[in-house]
Amino acid sequence: MPRLLSRRSFLITGAVLSGTVAVAATAGIGYLASVDIDGPDGFVDGDRAVLNAFVAIYTDGTVSVFVPKTEMGQGIHTGIAMLVAEELGIPFDNRISVEHPTEVLPVYGGWASQLGIRPEEASGPLHWLGRRALGAASIVSTGASSSTYELWTSLRQAGAAARHMLVGAAAAEMGVAPTELTTPGDGSVVHEATGTSLTYGHLALAAATIPPPESPELKPASDWQLIGRSQPRVDIPAKVRGLPVFGMDVIQPQMLHASIRQAPVTGAAVARVVNEAELREIRGIVDVVVIEDTSVAVIADSWWTAEQALWRAEIAWTPTEWDDLSGVELTQRMETALDSDEPNVVHEEGEPFPDTPDHLVEAAYSAPLVTHACMESMNATVLVRSDGTAEAWVSSQSLTSARWGVSRGAAAAGIDLDDITVNVMQNGGAFGRRTELDVVQQAAFLAALHPDRPVKLLWSREEDIGRGIYRSHARARLRAALGEDGLPIAYEARVAGQSVAQGLMGRLLPITGGGNPEGDFLTSEGLESPHYAIPNQHVGSHHVPSNIRVGLWRSNGFSHNVFFAESFFDECAHAAGTDPLEYRRRLLVDSPRLLTVLDRVAAMADWGSPLPPGRGRGIAIGGAYYSVVAQVVEVTVANDGEITVDEVSCAVDVGTVINPDQVIAQMEGSILWGLTTALMSENTVENGSIVESNFHDFQVQRLRNAPRITVEIVPSEELPGGAGETGVIPIAPALGNAIFAATGHRIRSLPLAATETIGERQTRSVLRTAYT
Amino acid sequence: MVTFTVNNAPVDLDVDQDKPLLWVLREDLGILGPKYGCGVAQCGACRVLVNGVSVPSCVTFAGDLEGAEVVTIEGLAEPDGTLSVVQQAWIDEQVPQCGFCQPGFIIAATALLASNPNPTDAEIDEEISNICRCGTYPRIRRAIHRAAAALSET
Ligand code: FES
Ligand code: FES
Repeated sequence: MPRLLSRRSFLITGAVLSGTVAVAATAGIGYLASVDIDGPDGFVDGDRAVLNAFVAIYTDGTVSVFVPKTEMGQGIHTGIAMLVAEELGIPFDNRISVEHPTEVLPVYGGWASQLGIRPEEASGPLHWLGRRALGAASIVSTGASSSTYELWTSLRQAGAAARHMLVGAAAAEMGVAPTELTTPGDGSVVHEATGTSLTYGHLALAAATIPPPESPELKPASDWQLIGRSQPRVDIPAKVRGLPVFGMDVIQPQMLHASIRQAPVTGAAVARVVNEAELREIRGIVDVVVIEDTSVAVIADSWWTAEQALWRAEIAWTPTEWDDLSGVELTQRMETALDSDEPNVVHEEGEPFPDTPDHLVEAAYSAPLVTHACMESMNATVLVRSDGTAEAWVSSQSLTSARWGVSRGAAAAGIDLDDITVNVMQNGGAFGRRTELDVVQQAAFLAALHPDRPVKLLWSREEDIGRGIYRSHARARLRAALGEDGLPIAYEARVAGQSVAQGLMGRLLPITGGGNPEGDFLTSEGLESPHYAIPNQHVGSHHVPSNIRVGLWRSNGFSHNVFFAESFFDECAHAAGTDPLEYRRRLLVDSPRLLTVLDRVAAMADWGSPLPPGRGRGIAIGGAYYSVVAQVVEVTVANDGEITVDEVSCAVDVGTVINPDQVIAQMEGSILWGLTTALMSENTVENGSIVESNFHDFQVQRLRNAPRITVEIVPSEELPGGAGETGVIPIAPALGNAIFAATGHRIRSLPLAATETIGERQTRSVLRTAYT
Repeated sequence: MVTFTVNNAPVDLDVDQDKPLLWVLREDLGILGPKYGCGVAQCGACRVLVNGVSVPSCVTFAGDLEGAEVVTIEGLAEPDGTLSVVQQAWIDEQVPQCGFCQPGFIIAATALLASNPNPTDAEIDEEISNICRCGTYPRIRRAIHRAAAALSET
């Protein structure tokens, strides 16, 4: 039985559950019983039949799949369309398309992942309550690598139910029993005895009147024709023509454009816009607006005009308690926290750490703040109508949080949540950033001041990198007592960082005050190493607040904690005089799934084969989001300290694979995301604000820095796991371990290298300390 | 007044001489394939061809466009919709993830192949400095080699 509200629970569950429970307490359990968790039965809508909440069939035989998940690059629309097509019995070609629904139906809510479980794991009262309570709250969101495993069963059931209805319609028209009919997978229903067949397009409207089956039967895996076989992505043909409409590309009639300046020191308020009158004189300027004291926006007939005006704006900000905050000070605060003897206990197992171990290994590690820098910078277009309704067009990971953003921003206009329509657009990258509602709320505030005119607010890249939201920084202390065989008898690790859960919840649901930041699993996740056979383990965390906004970031705490832990176990291996691969193999005696993946990657990389001087290999493994990934990095470190990542090998077990080529693409993307962060990216704090502002000082990898990557999928019959984040986790430690193998230098803080620019844009990575 | 062509269509515009081509395209002409990614010639999301040369349109100004031929991602396919060799290679290698950066990469690759029909990996890496945050770099290299091979056959 999974723990209710376990550590992997989605953050806002607590608040949402209590809210819903409050409703249930007053309205009675009957209220929950009335929540429609199944979505609509079939109905006809123009030239299409909507057969259930996920599938519509047009009279010309084309099919729409409603996917309550954001396409942000991960290929989810393709994967989910494949699940429907598999059970519906249609070929995977251009007759299938994907729409993001605009209705927030309970059936679209990701209830199971909010409980920290798979839908298949829930039964009885948990299933009943979970679907209804969380369905009523309808959190439609894309994150925690959960889309595939959340929808794995329900989308196949939707396809199977639709097929059942089409067969029923064919049976009625042909005057035969449904059992005499088959669906060969080409979008038709066939009566083999007479050789007659009818197309789905022909049957669609009649099928809408057939009752859906109670529990649709799913194909056995042996009959799958699509699942497990690479299919081309449905969104790519438009993407190579430059056609997709990202949030930034939204154009609406009568639209106004806005740009913004947020407080350099988060927490400061706008004292005044010194030259407001002068700004209003500029040709094309429509308005100069102070948004809720926290930022200044200029509205104009062109974004370029608005942005230029803001270059000239003189804004006076109020002083704050954070005005002198520096990176040095933040480091000091985290160190002071680590000095304290009272961490939040995250994991306790076995005996206390020995007082005087025979063989002690200890080390201190750190990781910086780092932002997402999605290629599409933050933006939202909002229209507040004078009839009391509102509509928004947003690149967002969450229909729900975007609606909250509109409702809150347009509070002055008094728009009811039910009168808000949000159109989720293609996302130009998201990486956790687009769960936030900040930009939507700002745009709605502006739109409420200009009713009946859509307002598109676009953040400049400088706002995005320098005034945005960040992965928490972290500092950790780790120690291990090694036994006679060199393996750890005891492991103790403590991390200090800033609670992401508190920050995010405080922003999404301010009434909760953000909740308790102590013991936030997002701070500590990945520091425990439950897969390693270490009898005595102690993991704790400290929350160190600041005014910097921290938030969700592709793989969250795993991104720094697995760097700490997997680098540290490498240190233990070397201290024990054991090959790092062999050391991990011994630690994984009780974890066959991880061991298989580890052995696979070692074979791919030809681990143990000799390398010339200056080259080295490093290995690391991580498990998260129901998946396991192991990677080997091969580096060359030149005499002048230049680090070149030559090759990355990656073995992955993501359970049952739906679209193998897209699992490979996610691994490639995760590896490059992780390498960029491991080697280059860093946000620093001076005078209470973030220093970096654009890609000239917030460094990211380009083609020149990208290694060769080889990915192998380890066959698995587990239920599907997440692919979007797990691949990020082992890459930083694998790289650090490789640099150690090449140089004998153990680097314990991220980023691992300094970045030197070559010409205007290219860069190279160089060791910070001299090495020969 | 500035007169030039975009994707072969003549354009006559009364805009500020110092308005960047990127915003002329996006705001005045409704051509949305070129993207804003940084505004300072760092990321390449805004790249277009001006007289056959790949330039960051965020730092190319209206006043400098008199008589120029501008081609954006929307202008690479044939009028009948047939994709360019580079676009087709991008599909065959399943390059795009979010896709936001891809118009800039496809433009940069088109220009590279025009001047160097068979680039090595090292030449690709040196010549194309665009940024992709989704991490499509390995596939971009493969797609450029595929396009080079296809072009050499025609
Ligand atoms: S927007 Fe022009 S190079 Fe980034
Ligand atoms: S495909 Fe998303 S930024 Fe390149």
